[in-house]
Amino acid sequence: MTPGKFTLDRRTMLQGGAAAVGGAALTASPLAGAFADTFPSRNLSVMVATREGGGADRNLRAFWGVWKKYLKTDMEASFYPGAAGRVGYQQYMGIAKPDAYTLLFGNMGPETLNWVVKKPSGFDFPGDYIYFNRVDVDPSCIFVDAKRSKFKTIDDIVAEGKKRTLNVGVSRIAHPASLGVLALGRHTGAKFNLIPLSGGKNTYAGVKSGEMDFGALPMSGTAKRHKTFSTMLIFDDKTYSDGLMKKLNNAPLVNRHFGMKLPPLVSARAFAIKTEAVEKHPDRFKILEETAAKVFKDPDYKAAVEKAKAPWELIRHGNAQECADYAKSIMAIGEQYKDLLSGKA
Amino acid sequence: MDEVGLSFFAELFAHTFGFWWVIIPAIFLGLIVGAIPGFSAANTIIILLPLTLAMGEEIGLVFMVALYCSSRMGAGIPAILVNIPGTAGAAATPLDGYPMTKQGKGPQALAISFVSSTFGGLLTTIVVLFVMPYVAQVVYYLHSVEMIVVMLFGISLIATIAARDTLKGLIAGFFGLMIGAIGADHVYATPRGTLGFLELYDGVPLIPALVGLFAISEAFLIIEGESILSKKGQVLMRDAKWAETFEGAREALKRWWHIVWTSLIGLVIGVVPGAGAAIASFVAYQQSKTFSKTPELYGTGHVEGLVAPESANNGVTSGTLVPLLVIGIPGGATAAIMLVVLQFHGTTVGPDLFIQKPLLAYGVFSSMAVTYVLMILTVFPLARYMSRVTMVSTVYIAPVIISFTLVGSFVPRAYVFDMYLALAFGVIGYIARKTGYHVAAILIGVILGPLLEQYFLRALKMSKGDIMVIFSSNIGNVLWVCLLLSLAVPYLKERHRKRSAARDALRRGEEAELGGTTE
Repeated sequence: MTPGKFTLDRRTMLQGGAAAVGGAALTASPLAGAFADTFPSRNLSVMVATREGGGADRNLRAFWGVWKKYLKTDMEASFYPGAAGRVGYQQYMGIAKPDAYTLLFGNMGPETLNWVVKKPSGFDFPGDYIYFNRVDVDPSCIFVDAKRSKFKTIDDIVAEGKKRTLNVGVSRIAHPASLGVLALGRHTGAKFNLIPLSGGKNTYAGVKSGEMDFGALPMSGTAKRHKTFSTMLIFDDKTYSDGLMKKLNNAPLVNRHFGMKLPPLVSARAFAIKTEAVEKHPDRFKILEETAAKVFKDPDYKAAVEKAKAPWELIRHGNAQECADYAKSIMAIGEQYKDLLSGKA
Repeated sequence: MDEVGLSFFAELFAHTFGFWWVIIPAIFLGLIVGAIPGFSAANTIIILLPLTLAMGEEIGLVFMVALYCSSRMGAGIPAILVNIPGTAGAAATPLDGYPMTKQGKGPQALAISFVSSTFGGLLTTIVVLFVMPYVAQVVYYLHSVEMIVVMLFGISLIATIAARDTLKGLIAGFFGLMIGAIGADHVYATPRGTLGFLELYDGVPLIPALVGLFAISEAFLIIEGESILSKKGQVLMRDAKWAETFEGAREALKRWWHIVWTSLIGLVIGVVPGAGAAIASFVAYQQSKTFSKTPELYGTGHVEGLVAPESANNGVTSGTLVPLLVIGIPGGATAAIMLVVLQFHGTTVGPDLFIQKPLLAYGVFSSMAVTYVLMILTVFPLARYMSRVTMVSTVYIAPVIISFTLVGSFVPRAYVFDMYLALAFGVIGYIARKTGYHVAAILIGVILGPLLEQYFLRALKMSKGDIMVIFSSNIGNVLWVCLLLSLAVPYLKERHRKRSAARDALRRGEEAELGGTTE
């Protein structure tokens, strides 16, 4: 029972009012033009391809809370969910002006796989927009209900999958975690039936309710909920700190455990921008890139991430080249499983 | 949790009452945003997120909970007074609420709504407080197969509505279901029936459909007259005093048992993540009518027809927070936003919350209970004055309805397209009303159709296309039997009533004949 941090008294009210009046007067005055060349001279707009309240929302707010210090401006976020992320991208390409003031925040993994399954109409990827600031790298994992599931190891799951088809809760079909499950099934001969449950929240609910035999999602969420869900397998090549691995039930890595050669199947949230904006305003793009990179070294950002109980070691900056390499690799593996991802097999 | 006893709850409530200064403004804000179509507790909390995050964790949570509860009640106010449900959860409210208003019983209708909402909400909150772990078990038993039947309970309301004109009712219902099928499919996200409109990829948005079918079509209709009230209604409203408001409260309280069981329907449905208030209020309305002694009065301004959806949608409010707190999974959009705020403050929700921060975990529900208590004290007296809006001439009220609802259509997604869509639904609704088709039947299809499809496709995908999966669960099968019974009962009752009437007529005829012979 702590007292509230927010206090609104006469003094703050008057200060706020004076600032608002001053700001309004400055914006309307001829002086405003003098500031216009300084980028950014107004708020940035960020379009998000998912609903409010999800992982992308939390990630964006934590990052922006610090980035705005360096950009010296604020952000207006708008959310465009629908059709597994397609609506957000189509909207961004349709309405965002190429002035570097409107960015897109998305999950590179699933949203790149979308274009493998169905090419976007009206624009080209990766030609017409680029990801330039990766915020995190979140490997996919397989998990079960910690208390009620009969599966104790991934081998139990595979053994059962050889006897009967197991239902697997996934956020959406075109997702790195789904790819991992399909690849595991193809390698081991176990039968897995992917059930898309529209988002991480519903996937956790599906597994918790017992309707799904197990689930597959990015591992940061299961690490955060480690008392409720047990991680069984990680689709990555490297292990993490003891603390994080403990939260992940010390689950084995897919290639090491099964002798497979899968690339890391990770979700990676990142900011994107229209290529046209980069070409027209390279100076602005440079400011965005440089200031975004500074955020990762800022202790405030680490504090914000840790406060939200997200693993700091999954926060990994990636520049435009690294983002492009990632998108290329995920598209390549997506092509291998295109028939399964699109329901044609 | 073992240390949690009655003294703990007593202290908790006393402590929560200390936040009255947060709760009361949140109640009024919630009423306003709930009453304006397009606004909701979820998007208001998002707008106010900077403020909520700046508050202390506890104050922020109390504020959000109070706003959430009162917005649910607020959504019923325009539904009753001007046939505009503020949210999909209030879509069943105007079925009987608005006819009451037209009869000049606006104050009574509002009082019934307020009493049902607060008592339904309060009751389910108390139930949740004491038996939360058991209530949370619902999550383990209501899966896709069972939810298909729950959806059909709501959709069967179409058949009930169609009872007056079977063909037109069913056509309207199927039309709504077809509209509900527009959008990307639930499995491979392939767009269907979108006519190339990107704005329809996520399905037909509910608010434009809701306000178009109900409010805009109503505005087109009422402009044809001078008042939304009947002649008798105008006289009654002119003379309305406090007595009418208290009469409404009495009418609702007389049906306390109705409030109890319909709010519990809401609670159970609310616990299931993603189910929501719309399905709960339709199911409650349908069940209420099925087991009523006077089903023929539903749709004409019947008290029970208003009590049921209002109690149920407030029961949902308590239910949606249960999975959030007990298993860490938000039951609805507002709960998901609350999760953002809690995580910002470093609180991890889930079973451990009750051990690590019991005051906060139980405090959510004690805030809810206190909100309901303060809500009835602060909002009830307003019923008389709010209902005065029905006295305003349609020359003013119709344009206000249209402009407010168009803005409301724009708000949730910020698409201008949605405003045109609302107008299109307004025209559809107007034509439907003029030609005797029931707009509620269309709307049920639009709201519940996508949910039914989602659960149905999921069940089919899990069974690899075996249609018999819908009979594969014991609980589901019990629900199927209940569904069949609830569909058969009205028919059997009606048949029994007709037979009794025929027997009575025969007996009276025989007696008259006998009397005549004797004379």
